[in-house]
Amino acid sequence: MTPELVPTAFLFVAGAILLGILPQGRLRAALLLLVPVLAALQVWTLPAGNLVSVQAFGLDLEPMRVDNLSRVFGLIFCLAAFLGNLYAWHVRDTIQQIAALIYAGSAIGAVFAGDLITLFLWWEGTAIASVFLIWARRTEGAYHTGMRYLMIQVGSGVLLLAGAALYHQETGRLTFEAMTLGSPATWAIFLAFGIKCAFPLLHNWLQDSYPAATVTGTVILSAFTTKLAVYALARGFAGTEFLIYIGATMALFPIFYAVIENDLRRVLAYLLNSQLGFMVVGIGIGTELALNGTAAHAFASVLYKALLFMTVGAVMFRTGTAKGSELGGLYRTMPLTLIFCVVGAASISSFPLFSGFTSKSLILSAAGHAQYNWIWLILVFASAGAFLLSGIKIPYFAFFAQDSGKRPKEAPTHMLLAMGLTAALCIGIGVFPDRLYALLPYEVEYHPYTTGHVITQFQLLFFSALAFTVLMRKGYYPPQLNSVNLDFDWTYRKALPLVIGWLRWAISSIWGAATGLGLTALNALVLRIYHSHGPEGRMAHVWPTGSMVLWIAILLGVVLIVNFAS
Amino acid sequence: MSEKTKTEMDVTQDIAKLPALGRRLMFLDKRSTVDRLVYVLYAACALLFVLDFLYKKKTYFEIEYVPGFYAVYGFFTCVALVVCAKAIRVFLKRDETYYAPKDVEGEDYPADQLEKVRHDT
Repeated sequence: MTPELVPTAFLFVAGAILLGILPQGRLRAALLLLVPVLAALQVWTLPAGNLVSVQAFGLDLEPMRVDNLSRVFGLIFCLAAFLGNLYAWHVRDTIQQIAALIYAGSAIGAVFAGDLITLFLWWEGTAIASVFLIWARRTEGAYHTGMRYLMIQVGSGVLLLAGAALYHQETGRLTFEAMTLGSPATWAIFLAFGIKCAFPLLHNWLQDSYPAATVTGTVILSAFTTKLAVYALARGFAGTEFLIYIGATMALFPIFYAVIENDLRRVLAYLLNSQLGFMVVGIGIGTELALNGTAAHAFASVLYKALLFMTVGAVMFRTGTAKGSELGGLYRTMPLTLIFCVVGAASISSFPLFSGFTSKSLILSAAGHAQYNWIWLILVFASAGAFLLSGIKIPYFAFFAQDSGKRPKEAPTHMLLAMGLTAALCIGIGVFPDRLYALLPYEVEYHPYTTGHVITQFQLLFFSALAFTVLMRKGYYPPQLNSVNLDFDWTYRKALPLVIGWLRWAISSIWGAATGLGLTALNALVLRIYHSHGPEGRMAHVWPTGSMVLWIAILLGVVLIVNFAS
Repeated sequence: MSEKTKTEMDVTQDIAKLPALGRRLMFLDKRSTVDRLVYVLYAACALLFVLDFLYKKKTYFEIEYVPGFYAVYGFFTCVALVVCAKAIRVFLKRDETYYAPKDVEGEDYPADQLEKVRHDT
């Protein structure tokens, strides 16, 4: 260990402290950009290995484990922090600035954590820091959403801690390493990861919170939490077959919701969930090709998701809404934003020459290699669906469709710059995939640009576009309506409060009845005593002097006996 | 109706002021251009379908050997996706204030955190 080495996460913490000292303004915004750059340089140059070990509470902690898997996630998190902070250059809200830094730092800290306790600390760090990006919207709705988000995220951390404690008891180790599902310890850890990874039925915090955060907050939120969970699963549970089925479900179901969802940021949140499904399938397959695919897809999807959230955010920044029903026709005045949106859309839909094509196909090929027919079919379906929704729906309803009459100005320069850079990276990964492949954990030879692959991919995309066109022209495509759609969060936002309300009513009525009965009896007794002993009572007619004398005599006797005995 | 004509007037007045790139894209406004684009899409689809016969396939699954498998699969799954989603909407759709009177769905985004600027100002 070199004593001068500071774990990367602490660079962000130091940055956040320094930020508090600097005056609000460009200097701060510049610091927000500088910290991720420094961190990325550090991550890039560090050798592999457990670089720092700390003794605390009688435990050996390893806060800086660098290897090929943690490095690629560390780098993309630095990159995402830089792009997100550039996008948020105009923000002058100290809370959001500090939250963004601590959040990114925590995610990076968790990625480099070599033991479960360090992982837990940073895991909770991401939860607590990120909620401020939601609360920073400063509305009642955002406050409640933030509360729900915090409860679920902190809950995931508590599960992780419980799992870590059980794991230590079971194996005597705390190293964060590959585990096999089976014992309560591993299940608790698995579930903790699953919550943050938005597994089916555990997913609603994502669609609930991302559309509620601030314009810039959502861009930052979209990068870290879920990809951290993907990293954790890849580290801990690679090759767990159960994950393949979870991943396929995750890839499939959210896209149905994305069709009928009105809020474009929530559409993106559902699609993000679906993209996570691809990564989870990759982890489940667990071959070198599949894990490379997961890492590559996480890398690419951080970028294109951020880009899409940036473009919808820019629209929101200028118009005040991200609802498909209230937007349309913005291409006239926001053409650059439109172009960046299309680049993001092409990337997520894996158009050849864009990033999704070179990353997603690794996972699809891995599924093919391992002969998972149904899983492969589902993934191809989800791929086509992703194009239909983010490739066509988002640009169409925001920038084309019916003219909303809104003529907002083009996005501010720093936003355009952030979007432009991200878009360039998306295209860069698509055109020069080997650069990305060189960063991946395993050395695998893979060529995405084969004739067959390009043609079949174009077929899939063009015929999906054809489906959209035909449905749209026939008027069958569901219109964008101001509404919410029930999802699994109905259980805890509606059903659970109802059940609790009913229970409260039942318990309070039983309690009321029981205490009521008791009170009546007690009242009757008091009345009876009052009747005999009260001021008007029979017993009050004479002074009980005699009985007083008797009592004093007894007391005296007791005192005498006690005195004598002692 | 009057609202719509007003927007259209707005548009014609604004054209000169639009950003150059936006003006270039104005051709998309015309119904005939959209129709033409749709025909281009049809042609591209047909071409891609034919292309499938012209190269030697190297695949993981037998089903991929079916000519135009990706085309047919892409088209029908997307139609199925939309049809199913439309059907489940009937059961799942609720008012924006369903969960709470003040929910992020229903409330306005705080104006002081935005920079709403009209294009021509």
